[in-house]
Amino acid sequence: MADDASDDHFEPEDTVDEVNTFDGRLIRRLGQYLKPYTGYIVLALFITLGASVLGPLRPWLVQKGIDNYIVGGDLEGLQYIILYLMLALVGEGLLSFGENYLTQWIGQQAIYDLRTTLFRHVEGQSLAYFDRTPVGRVITRTTSDVEALSDALSSGLVSALGDLFKLFFIAYFMFTLNWMLAAVTLLVMPLMVWVTFWFRRNVREQYRETRKQMARINSFIQEHVTGIHIVQLFNREEEEKERFEEINDKHRAAHLHTIFYYAVFWPSIEFISSVALAAVLWFGGFRALGGSALTLGVLVAFIQYARQFFRPIRDLSNQYDTLQKAMAGAERVFSLLDTDEGIETPSAPAELDEIDGTIEFENVWFAYEEDDEGTPDWVLRDVSFRVEPGETAALVGATGAGKSTVMNLLLRFYEIQRGHIRVDGQDIRDLRLRALREHIGLIPQDVFLFSGSVRRNLTLDDPGIDEETMRRAAETVQADQLIERLPDGYDQDVKERGSSLSRGQRQLLAFVRALLYDPDVMVLDEATSSVDTETEALIQRALERVTEGRTTLAIAHRLSTIQDADTILVMHKGEIRERGTHQELLAADGLYRKLYDLQYADQGAPRGDRARTDQRVQT
Amino acid sequence: MGALGRLNHFFWEYKYLFVPGLLFTMVSAGFQITVPMVVRQVVDSIPRFVRLYTLYGGTPAQTELYAYFFVTLVLFALVIVALSGTSGLFMFLMRQTVVVASRHIEYDLRNALYDHLQRLSSTFYQEYSTGDVITRATDDIEKVRRYVGPAIMYVTRSLVMVLVAASVMFVISPTLTLYALTPLPVLAVAVFFMARMVHDRSDRLQRQYSTLTSRVQEALSGIRVLKAYTREAAEAEAFDDESREYRARNLTLALVESAWRPSFLLLVGVSTVIVVWMGGQLVAEGAITIGNIAEYIIYINMMTWPVASLGFVITMIQRASASVSRLQSIMDREPDIDDGPQTNPAIQRLEGRITFRDVWYQYEDEDEPALRGVSFDLPADQTLAIVGRTGSGKSTLVRMIPRLLEPDAGTVAVDGSEIETVPLRTLREHMGYVPQDVFLFSDTVANNIAFGDLDADREEIRAAAAEADLMENVENFTDGFDTYVGERGITLSGGQKQRTSIARALIRDPRILVFDDALSAVDTATERNILRSLRERQGRHTLVIVSHRLSAVQEADLILVLEQGRVVQRGPHETLVNEDGLYADLYEKQLLEEEIQAL
Repeated sequence: MADDASDDHFEPEDTVDEVNTFDGRLIRRLGQYLKPYTGYIVLALFITLGASVLGPLRPWLVQKGIDNYIVGGDLEGLQYIILYLMLALVGEGLLSFGENYLTQWIGQQAIYDLRTTLFRHVEGQSLAYFDRTPVGRVITRTTSDVEALSDALSSGLVSALGDLFKLFFIAYFMFTLNWMLAAVTLLVMPLMVWVTFWFRRNVREQYRETRKQMARINSFIQEHVTGIHIVQLFNREEEEKERFEEINDKHRAAHLHTIFYYAVFWPSIEFISSVALAAVLWFGGFRALGGSALTLGVLVAFIQYARQFFRPIRDLSNQYDTLQKAMAGAERVFSLLDTDEGIETPSAPAELDEIDGTIEFENVWFAYEEDDEGTPDWVLRDVSFRVEPGETAALVGATGAGKSTVMNLLLRFYEIQRGHIRVDGQDIRDLRLRALREHIGLIPQDVFLFSGSVRRNLTLDDPGIDEETMRRAAETVQADQLIERLPDGYDQDVKERGSSLSRGQRQLLAFVRALLYDPDVMVLDEATSSVDTETEALIQRALERVTEGRTTLAIAHRLSTIQDADTILVMHKGEIRERGTHQELLAADGLYRKLYDLQYADQGAPRGDRARTDQRVQT
Repeated sequence: MGALGRLNHFFWEYKYLFVPGLLFTMVSAGFQITVPMVVRQVVDSIPRFVRLYTLYGGTPAQTELYAYFFVTLVLFALVIVALSGTSGLFMFLMRQTVVVASRHIEYDLRNALYDHLQRLSSTFYQEYSTGDVITRATDDIEKVRRYVGPAIMYVTRSLVMVLVAASVMFVISPTLTLYALTPLPVLAVAVFFMARMVHDRSDRLQRQYSTLTSRVQEALSGIRVLKAYTREAAEAEAFDDESREYRARNLTLALVESAWRPSFLLLVGVSTVIVVWMGGQLVAEGAITIGNIAEYIIYINMMTWPVASLGFVITMIQRASASVSRLQSIMDREPDIDDGPQTNPAIQRLEGRITFRDVWYQYEDEDEPALRGVSFDLPADQTLAIVGRTGSGKSTLVRMIPRLLEPDAGTVAVDGSEIETVPLRTLREHMGYVPQDVFLFSDTVANNIAFGDLDADREEIRAAAAEADLMENVENFTDGFDTYVGERGITLSGGQKQRTSIARALIRDPRILVFDDALSAVDTATERNILRSLRERQGRHTLVIVSHRLSAVQEADLILVLEQGRVVQRGPHETLVNEDGLYADLYEKQLLEEEIQAL
């Protein structure tokens, strides 16, 4: 039970996004997720109906007790009424418990279905999608947006109907007892409805504001704690404190508004109930004088009814909010489900069980995106090359030359616009993604580590990899010493404080990971800077081990690491400008030579040469 | 609960809200309690009126009585409306004072906490995670607020209501009161336990929610790996498991929450039934009237919430107490690094001479010292370079210059004065620091650069960006200098971030400039451009530069080679190259590689 303490009834509150139209299409689509549970929903409706009768039945029984037995002094008869009252009470308690739990249960099942469907959908999107969509947004869709639907899916419909039932039965019993008195009592109802909805509307707005300001406070603190040393180093404490106070002040102001609405609302409801009560007493007494059959029992029953019909009204106004919130969530969730950028699987995929490992790019053109006029912004232009089984091809070139793109395309993270990419002569578009990727091992430059143990990161939770295999692979690339130095060895939590692994060390783990999946083709992006000499040597050796007997496509940043490559492809602005072995390329005295000079000029060239090198860089 | 005492000064500070607020609370409760008495009067009067009215049936007095009764009934009705209106007015005032005061206190507490956080130094932040700090600034403060506002309001209101109502009821019939009120303490206890169950289960639910969220976050951040290794299906199943667990925890919470209203209803309902049953017998005995029954029913309804809220309040106070302790653990912490009695306020300007004398430092959670007896003397306007392997103590050393760290032993001096005597503000005013891990605020590029110098105009920002070789990038951004970076804007590459961070330091035109491996993410050409800018500034600052690449340090006046926290070599490049040692090794290795390549 979420409680907002400025409200002494502790009702749950949430932000509501502005969706004022209740889109029938969205509701129907949400309904789809409830369909499997139709039987349970019907059951829940019956239970709700029962609970809704029993509540208003009790004041009616009280009336019977007073008029038929207490006034007449018939205590024995009273016992029966008491028994009925207890039965009604216990019955209502049990039924409403059943209603609450069952609706929650239904909602949770539906939410589970929706959430897991959504996750699979998101996971299946191509990388182009993830490039464009901030991860944070997708997380919000699969978690909190889905969560917003949960209330609507669980209690939404059933509870709203239940509240309507309750109002109906309260009115029904009142009219049965005394229609005139009922009419007088119900006169205040429109006012109550109006106040409730007025309150709900204003509070909702303020709530959105407080949530917004709270989020600002959160991100301000988050940012300033993370960058506290910058604030301190640059003597910005005073200014930042003022900025913080400003946000904090806005947050307080929003709350003060909220308090005002609550302060008006609860007394108003109390007051309106009292007006109804006063009306009942005045009109009841007045009618009694007129000789009507109004009894004391009826009066007492009405005193109770005058208070009873407020809750269903309030709950209905809550339901309205819940539904609105759900609509906003549903719109976002469904729009995510409707965007499908997954890579299509061919209708008749070619098989590729065993491969030799020939890689072939033939006149490949590729653009990540188009500019405003729809012209593709080419990242690769007419790239062709071929790597024979077991050979190593190295891609070199300046940042932005298109090296990583070649790697991404081979794994079919993106679809090419023109040309062909073939593995063992088979166009990769004719293969199942799974079939293609199973044969390729990837060692990225920035190795992403999942939280959890080193073991999890090596095996990626594949139960098919046993301890022995894992350790052997680690030994092969000499990562075992590194791992064993960690406090918990293979069980070390990689995200835990104090066990931070350097870039180079992370890449070593990636080597092990790649080895464990024993691919025929290895694709690797060499780690660039920030690798200390010792790790660099380890990586160099690991590289030799891993590429042995495998077709390898490597992106090299340090030209020293690729001197043995069978082919070096020199890329520039999306094109392959030169190709050949290290020696051939050096001798050709072209682009490769320049890159080479640039990298080593500073480190070894005598001082006088520097100016010359500088000029070269600028050409 | 002792911790809560530390909040008392707030009550004093806001006494102009609390004192009237609590008075309003009592007045409101008082008026509300009188309503049922009037109801009883009416209910009991009606049969009497009817009897009298019929007794005088047919006489002229009947018409008069009719008018009299009619007016009386209208008066009764008006009294009920007036009483409840007055009670409502005071209830409104009560919320507008007590709850408002609690929001003011929340505001004050949060400002004080933030202010304090800004003064704390790195040892504190090594101990507390960002999430932890945020929780304290939000959740814990909110819990404290609930105690200073709502909890106190509820307690006052509940006590007044329960005491007055119970006394009134007791006067009418002690027996009936005892019976009717029996379920209410049960209610309070039940609420207390259920609130606790809900709390525990929500906590566990929340934890699972975090697990679920981080699972999604990881899967999406590592999507490339998952796809490359065709682990999507396995990951989806793992996600199913987490979702299933989440659903299960949701349902255990739903179990308690579903029982919440029914139990409430049951206990209050039982009270009402007892009133009807026992009351019915007493009416038959003539001990009480039917009006009393109506009165009792209203009282019980009225007391339900105050009694139940007592159950909440206990939990609220317990949580507030724990939260106060958590907040105090931060507030009581004195900043390790601050001005003190030894500070000499006369120091207003710095030249930039830096001296280390036998400086030692050891991180708390490490076995080996990070620095072992480092000494050097760097005259103003000169350049010091520090090289060495990862973990050799380079960053630790430079972090002492702006006093982000303090030596365990030995002294650091600036312009010959011990660093502790230089006012912290003055020291940092003269410092331009580019940290190893770049941190930018989610703000515009211009504001991030001007973070170093608030008064800087666009021209100065442009100049600093140019010196940091950033201009070409800025020109390519859609909004130039006004482009937002970070969450709300574009993502900068590592090199771009590093250069922005450099511009932020350069714009201060500092006397002391510290580059802590600040060129690691830029390419060689950019590095050269930035080094050229720095050379052009020579004479305007003392430069301390940490680097992995020897290319960046060769022109330094003094190079320190660190190994395991010790200075193993010192001197200019020319000397070090010809000396047997780590520097020459590193250098030679590079030469060698090059020679091999050149074959």
